[in-house]
Amino acid sequence: MSYIDIKNLKRVYQMSKEISVEALRGVNFDIKEGEFVSVVGSSGSGKSTLLNILGGLDREYTGHVLIDGTDIKKYNPNFYRRHIVGTVFQQFYLIPSLSVEENILLPMKFTGSKDIDVSKRLEYLLDMVDLKDRRKHLPKELSGGQAQRVAIARALIDAPKIVLADEPTGNLDSKTGEAILTLLKELNRTEGVTVILVTHDKNISKKTDRVITLVDGKNV
Amino acid sequence: MFKYAISLILRRKLRTMLTSLGIMIAVMLMTFILFGMTDLQRAVLTQFSSVFKPTDLYVSSQDLMFGGMLSAPTKQKEEKKEPVIVNETVKRKIETLDGVESVDSMFLLNGLEIYLEGDSIPYPTQIVQAMSIPGDDPTFISFDGENPILEENGIFVSDFVVSFFETTNDEIVGKKLIAKSVSSSFMSAANKNMIDKEYEFFVQGVVETANKPFWISTDKALNILVDMGGFESTDEYIEKIGYSQLLVHTKDGKTTEVESIMTEDMGLSVMSTKTVVDFISTLTAGLTISLVVFGAISALVASIGIINTMIMSIYEQTREIGIIKAIGASDIQVLVIFLIQSGLIGLIGGVLGLGITYAMMQIADPFIVEVLKEQGFGAIDKFFYFQLGNALIITFSSILVGVIAGIYPAMKAARLDPVKALRYE
Repeated sequence: MSYIDIKNLKRVYQMSKEISVEALRGVNFDIKEGEFVSVVGSSGSGKSTLLNILGGLDREYTGHVLIDGTDIKKYNPNFYRRHIVGTVFQQFYLIPSLSVEENILLPMKFTGSKDIDVSKRLEYLLDMVDLKDRRKHLPKELSGGQAQRVAIARALIDAPKIVLADEPTGNLDSKTGEAILTLLKELNRTEGVTVILVTHDKNISKKTDRVITLVDGKNV
Repeated sequence: MFKYAISLILRRKLRTMLTSLGIMIAVMLMTFILFGMTDLQRAVLTQFSSVFKPTDLYVSSQDLMFGGMLSAPTKQKEEKKEPVIVNETVKRKIETLDGVESVDSMFLLNGLEIYLEGDSIPYPTQIVQAMSIPGDDPTFISFDGENPILEENGIFVSDFVVSFFETTNDEIVGKKLIAKSVSSSFMSAANKNMIDKEYEFFVQGVVETANKPFWISTDKALNILVDMGGFESTDEYIEKIGYSQLLVHTKDGKTTEVESIMTEDMGLSVMSTKTVVDFISTLTAGLTISLVVFGAISALVASIGIINTMIMSIYEQTREIGIIKAIGASDIQVLVIFLIQSGLIGLIGGVLGLGITYAMMQIADPFIVEVLKEQGFGAIDKFFYFQLGNALIITFSSILVGVIAGIYPAMKAARLDPVKALRYE
């Protein structure tokens, strides 16, 4: 049974009265719970648009995105972004004035936790991403790989069901990128979290359970 | 969230400080106005209370609050107000009122120049007060002389008269003072051959007081007034002109009742502690309100600075707003984060302004007290006091100014589209 069900998903950007761009032109696929899926496609294929919709950042689409049978438009967008999904960005997007552990805990400042022991969860994640000795460091004191590991821990702090990773290895060298992918796979295995990884790197996508390819706004 | 908002503020310390400076200046102005006016009111009342007892009432035929003590009755005023002559009949009637303990009569002589023996420069035209009170009475803060009871030709001079003649208490006591009438306005109702009269006194003691510069006995004062006015007798003077003032000592709890009878039933003008307090309160409240308007204008200017700073921050933090929205911050939470920031700018300005102004007040305090003492405010030991109520009002107001100024930028931040914000370069 599918956990994420995407039906006829379309997204049109109205650039001006006359000009519109169809970023997604009827995407259809489903993902099982706990699956590790990669979405690949060239630049402009609609990968980021799809991720923004799945991340609850963009609601101006037509079609349906069902998570465990519930249309995500039925969720309060903030609740959805807090509790259902966790997002990892290519540029890490850490808050420069906050330490590693403050960055990881930041989502908890905006949300009540889902009955989880936050400090235990923090220790567990710091251990998983191997940053226990860097917990008080600021982002500027971290390497790219370490910063991305912080971003992954932040995405997982509230134990979401889905992790969306937008080119998580894009800003890293191949060795570090490999390590990040291994970490995501490990979390997918241990946490049972569903991972959707957007990448243009075929070597990365090969290591996921399934590859969904987007071409000109449609999956093929 | 609060910690995160503080971290945003700390990230741009210089700009925060410069923006807070605007609020700080407004707060300094407000603090000077609110603290200064309250302290001024307190100083006047302290001084007044040190001289006048709350149960004492000063009675006159004319308004004592607006120059009644400083001018003699005139025909013009008589036509306007038709004042009651405070003669012996009126005095006796007051003495029989329920709640009155005793009544002292007082005379005021003005339009005089007072010369000190051996000095050619006179003390400027001033009032000579005549009242049957000894030099060691609590009316005076201190008395320096041998005999505190005024003799026929004795005169008490205040400490600021001693300063004027550039002498000392020891030197002035025993010296001669000559009072010369110089003004035709002097007792105009009794204006008969009053110019070029001279009266000789000897300085019997020096009193420290905020009140009048010269004090003589009532008998002597009455004789001078009769002589200057060309009256046949003291009885004729009192009947036609009356006492300058009566000091009515009332029983505790009866003061208001007696005051009411004298003003409403007898048509007299009465000055009590309450009327002075009311008058000073009205005066300082009026001044405070008009000055607060200036403070408010300066706060408005400061708030424009906050709006500018906050909008700049939004442009700088656009991507960060996108990040926190992407990880779950709601529009309201983003709004609150920015309101906390603008409120903190207000708070920093408020606390700095309050602290600096209070420190300046403490430094200036001894000098102000010295000046006030020279002006006769002998009962004042400290002028500026810390006023917790006003300090809290000022601090709260500065936070409020910050928060209000932050509403527009905060709403702008809250409405940012997270996708666009994340793409912002």
